[in-house]
Amino acid sequence: MSLLLWIGMFFGFQPQSQDTVLLTPVEVYAPTLDRFTQGQKIKSYSKAELNTYQGRSLGDLLQETSPVFIRQYGAGMLASPSFRGTSAGHTSVFWNGIPVNSPSLGQSDLSILPVAAVDQVAIHFGNGGALFGNEAIGGSIHLGTKLSFSEGFQGSFSQQFGSFGQTNSYLKSSFSSEKLSSETRFYRESATNDFHFKDLGQAETPIVRAQNSAVKQMGIVQDLAWNLSKTTQLKASFWYNQADREIQPVMGSNTNDIQSDQSFRMAVDYFHFGKKSILNLKSGLVQDNQLFNQSENNTVQYFLSGDWDSAFTPKWNLKTGLRLNFIQGELSTYQATDQRVESYQSLRFQPDENLKISLNLRQLAYLDQFEPFIPSLGADWDFWKNSNNQLSLKASIAKGIKVPTLNDRFWEPGGNPDLIPEKSQSGEIGLIWQKTGGISWENSLTYYRMTVDNWIIWIPKGNFWTPENIREVQNQGIEYQGQASTELGNWNITANWAYTWSRAISTKGIGETDPAIGKQLPYTPEHQANGRINAGYNGFSTFIGTYFIGERRVTSDGQRTMPSYQFFNLGVSYGNLSLGKIKIPLRFQVNNLFNKDYQVLYLRPMPGRSYQFTLSIQL
Amino acid sequence: MKFKLNQLVWAFALIFLSISCTESDPDRPLGEYETGILIMNEGAFGSNDGEVYHLNPSTGELKADIFEAANNRPFAGLLEDMVSVDDRLYLVANTGKVEIVNAADFKSLGTVSGGLDQPRSLAVVGSKLFISDYGPYDADFNTPESFIAVVDGLNGGAVKKKIKVSNKPEDLFAFGKYVFVAGSEEGKVEIIDAEKETIFKTLEVPGRPIQFFEMRGDLWLYSIGDNEIFFQSFHLDNFTRKIQTGLPLANATGRIAFGNDDLIYVSSSSGWPDYNDSVTKFSLFESTLVQDYITETGIYGLGYDKRNSNLILAFSNGFQGNGTLKIYNDSLSEVLSISVGRGPSGFMFKD
Repeated sequence: MSLLLWIGMFFGFQPQSQDTVLLTPVEVYAPTLDRFTQGQKIKSYSKAELNTYQGRSLGDLLQETSPVFIRQYGAGMLASPSFRGTSAGHTSVFWNGIPVNSPSLGQSDLSILPVAAVDQVAIHFGNGGALFGNEAIGGSIHLGTKLSFSEGFQGSFSQQFGSFGQTNSYLKSSFSSEKLSSETRFYRESATNDFHFKDLGQAETPIVRAQNSAVKQMGIVQDLAWNLSKTTQLKASFWYNQADREIQPVMGSNTNDIQSDQSFRMAVDYFHFGKKSILNLKSGLVQDNQLFNQSENNTVQYFLSGDWDSAFTPKWNLKTGLRLNFIQGELSTYQATDQRVESYQSLRFQPDENLKISLNLRQLAYLDQFEPFIPSLGADWDFWKNSNNQLSLKASIAKGIKVPTLNDRFWEPGGNPDLIPEKSQSGEIGLIWQKTGGISWENSLTYYRMTVDNWIIWIPKGNFWTPENIREVQNQGIEYQGQASTELGNWNITANWAYTWSRAISTKGIGETDPAIGKQLPYTPEHQANGRINAGYNGFSTFIGTYFIGERRVTSDGQRTMPSYQFFNLGVSYGNLSLGKIKIPLRFQVNNLFNKDYQVLYLRPMPGRSYQFTLSIQL
Repeated sequence: MKFKLNQLVWAFALIFLSISCTESDPDRPLGEYETGILIMNEGAFGSNDGEVYHLNPSTGELKADIFEAANNRPFAGLLEDMVSVDDRLYLVANTGKVEIVNAADFKSLGTVSGGLDQPRSLAVVGSKLFISDYGPYDADFNTPESFIAVVDGLNGGAVKKKIKVSNKPEDLFAFGKYVFVAGSEEGKVEIIDAEKETIFKTLEVPGRPIQFFEMRGDLWLYSIGDNEIFFQSFHLDNFTRKIQTGLPLANATGRIAFGNDDLIYVSSSSGWPDYNDSVTKFSLFESTLVQDYITETGIYGLGYDKRNSNLILAFSNGFQGNGTLKIYNDSLSEVLSISVGRGPSGFMFKD
């Protein structure tokens, strides 16, 4: 108990007295995202929000509920994130604290990161190079699993059926005592994905069924945690995911490509909780095996890190650490290894309860190259408050970096070993108004500016394509978010809404006369918005959600634009159905309520209205 | 992109016939796209945004996406080749289809879709279409199943037969009842009997065969090697080699254009790390040779407008967005620079 009390103090939750009684169950220690991210924006998802996305991918979640634009190549196909007008390679993805982006591609496919495999999702916006390292330029995505102690045995089974042959099964069981906690989950998701669409690639544009688009994936997640003593804890997480997909061809093509992705991820943490510090030793493994038709690409990454997080005075926090990363790649056209060393330091100063300032520094070396320090500086200031209202200001400046991927450097033919890292710098300022009372709400407005230099693009040179550090891009935008909650009679009402304006302009391209200069990057909507209202009463709940994606240009300077679209989802659920001690929650959801015909990317068909029914059994 | 004269011999007969029939054949007004320059924009891999643009060189007026404008649907493919035969224009998409349009107005006449993998070019013999196709890739990105697809019907339809040929067939040329196939990977020319739909004869040729062309009454083949380029002509009675000649030129890209006075223009790229692209001008019959006739970076398409002796270069701009077309006069002064579609790779000059 002292261990967990200490953690509470460490995070700044000041207990009134030493005899504060801890609530049970208690959770496994997980380093929080926001301790040194002052001045920057973070969006975290609640368990209830994640529940409504069971059976869907991380890409769907982010597309429909955040300012992130997801470039979806079809239902269940490649989904890559674009934060603040940057590319998929400018987003780092973490699972239980280890980076899981493919080292050969430098990105993650969000369509094969099922929401059901994780308990926590948070997204961090803007440059996080100093805090998170490589590739965290536009933003970063943080996934995690979460364990608790002293909860005994729990189990649940969910079965989901939906349109287009969707059949999903989820099995979860956990056991925890004061010392030990274990949770195992298994999932299997599949869909024939044979939805109807208007085929623009054929004469007369007939309505056809999608061909070669079936997807299935299954996985197992195992989490373990031991309280070795009152001051030490060991935690281990394993995740195996296998996705087998037919790759739906772009309209006009008749390919029958298939792709299999097998990923094994492991994170093992050792924590030692001192009187005013936490020591964390971490090791990780990320293995990705991809088979595209018969072309095999395999990578494995090993991580070893250690950091020491100290609150050496009530006002000062310091975290310092080192991460080693060794990468092996056996790709279809080359073999390569890479090794990276990163040292990082974070300092937080809290002169009073209304002001927090953080400074983060990271130095990265890969192969034989040392990169200069990547810094970030930010502050949160609650500058005005009364009994019901609080106004806060957030401001930060930061740098980010992206090391050229293995493919960029070594692909045969064309890989360019002389590439230098992409670099970015950014600043943002945000105003937050929080109000409590009969109607509680929070409104936040953020303005950001960012530049990305040495942006790597592949261009044809002679008889093959090769990557070069060519592009420079300036991004700026405004992100507005609001949320409110109230009670109407016995109903609990919550609502959230968001609007994003984003400009991402090339300032340097292929030569001075590149027609893309001064124009918005392709597939980067200037306008995005989303909103959702939830209402709950006595176990019954319902929601309606919508999101809007503005026009996108197919190329920066081309005539062709993809039309904007708005999309609605509707869901109802009932959680109070039970048989004895067995709870049987039910959920029904309609996606694309108004059967909108749309494409996210040119000639990539997307499904119309679909239905999803979930029956769960919870022990 | 080629004009296909179905038969050289028949071509002369046709000219004779057309002259003799002039008085009795009422003049048909030329369609909108039967004059000027058609610009073939390949499109970007994975996007299927290939399209044809039309340029009126005298006014500089450019019309974009003329297939989509005429048919109210996108081309939806990567445009590999345009082949003009009589009143039809065959648009070959290496993403697995051939769109057949009326050459005058680009209205769709039909398609060939099922049964194709990576079509490259097309030839017409009688009422049959012959389509060269790489076939599917194997695990090592080789194409051991390359074929020539046979389709009955000038307006497309189903593939009725696949004739297996050497790897990566490119250009086709119809002569009488025969179809010449440029087998680019294995250095072969395969001659198909169009009636029997079988390979009639196979010739070994140096380099990687790219394109057939007609010059001074002979059928020629342009092939490229690592450090030289090759030209050879054929005896059309017994299908043997007639003349073979070559030129030292490293890193030829396969782009070729034909100027006035039987001058030939080919492009090459120095490759990594400098990527200097240049055009070499020469004649097969004279001692004319001008290396580095023009040097640029990023040349993706090459053409020559004989009507006004203009050399045309197209630049892909890295496929990041629109390509650029530049027209140079005889003294290599730039007379027009204009933004075109994605990946401009070839031109067709109409009357």
